[in-house]
Amino acid sequence: MEDTRERPVCHRAEDLVSYLYGEAGGTDALDFHQHLEQCDACRSEYAVFNQVHASIQLWRNEALGAAFDQVAMPEPATEARQLVRPERKLSALAAVRQFFSVSPLWLRGATAFAALLLCVLSVMMVARVRTRPVQIANNSGPERLYTQHELQDHVNKAVEQVRNDLLAQQTGVNQTGVKQNETKPGSKSVQVATNQRKELRPRGLNRQEREQLAADLRLTSTADEDDLLLAFPEQDKPRQ
Amino acid sequence: METATNDEQMVERALSGDPEAFGEIVRRWERRIFALAYGMLGREEDARDATQETFMAAFRNLRGFRGDAKVSSWLHRIAVNQCITRQRRAKVRGETALEDEAEKNAAVFALPVDASPARSAEAVERSKAVRRAVISLPPDLRQVVVMKEFEELTFQQIAEVLEIPLSTVKSRLYTALRQLQMRLQKFGDADVA
Repeated sequence: MEDTRERPVCHRAEDLVSYLYGEAGGTDALDFHQHLEQCDACRSEYAVFNQVHASIQLWRNEALGAAFDQVAMPEPATEARQLVRPERKLSALAAVRQFFSVSPLWLRGATAFAALLLCVLSVMMVARVRTRPVQIANNSGPERLYTQHELQDHVNKAVEQVRNDLLAQQTGVNQTGVKQNETKPGSKSVQVATNQRKELRPRGLNRQEREQLAADLRLTSTADEDDLLLAFPEQDKPRQ
Repeated sequence: METATNDEQMVERALSGDPEAFGEIVRRWERRIFALAYGMLGREEDARDATQETFMAAFRNLRGFRGDAKVSSWLHRIAVNQCITRQRRAKVRGETALEDEAEKNAAVFALPVDASPARSAEAVERSKAVRRAVISLPPDLRQVVVMKEFEELTFQQIAEVLEIPLSTVKSRLYTALRQLQMRLQKFGDADVA
């Protein structure tokens, strides 16, 4: 760039600026053009200012050319938008494959062993369930339920037990009655004998006892209760 | 300017509640305001922020717009004030460390795509020098240069924006060009040395 540090200054500086930027009118522009031919200072400054102006314009065009493109921020073109596809979701199988492809060998072996163990345990559990008898309900608690067969067994056993007890009592009473008859003669002995005869009658269970028995056996069925009534019909008659 | 006659109508529509009207004003003037801010600040990020702040300030003060002035002059005045304010703040914060980075970015901006390495290096250095010279001008000189070189406003428009006499615009521009020439001369001497 030309050295103008020591150059003289002309009094037509404003006209020089107007001429430089093309804002001088027709007559003024012609007049200043003639002045330039005569004034070394103005001619020198005009040349220097032209270089400065060109440098600024170069910087402006280069800088704002790139910056304007970013300021505008145009929407992506259709072609570009078509190229940008959403990320495809992997299926489960593909995800597993990808997992194994990037996993180390020890992790693959451990996973395979765990899967095999899981299969064996599953097979064992299925086999065990199939061999186990079917439970009607949970019979381990106090609310135990009986099958019809078990219930019949329990009832038969209870009836047998009561019958045996009665027979045993009857046998014992007979023997005692004989002894008493031998030691105490008279009306008293007859009364005792009469009393013993009453007790020697086969005694069934009264309602309370039957209910107790039914509660013990958790009997809820009225049909079963009817069976008991049929087994001990005497107890339904009111005592006199 | 084609849009100059309609800008005032847009402002009236915006004032009457038309949400699209001010957006249209922004679309019309954002590039010019950005160019002005870029010339004043020399950094793209700062210029973007200043442009945004300019339009926000304009929207806030829409009711204060005087109908006797042009919308373009009004917007430029706001932008110049925004840039000056930002530079003052930056000076207070002492943001000199960012200057080198900004120069680097500006140099990358200035790189022609198909330039040879030697020419690219020269263009980069020259752009850096011009930018540094413009930025180092006093604010009253710099805004005139930027409005003329970046905005290509007429002297009359600059006078209206800055609300100064026409002769003052010319004298400021002349002084600014002399100072720029001297700074660039310094750059040329240093380059030779």
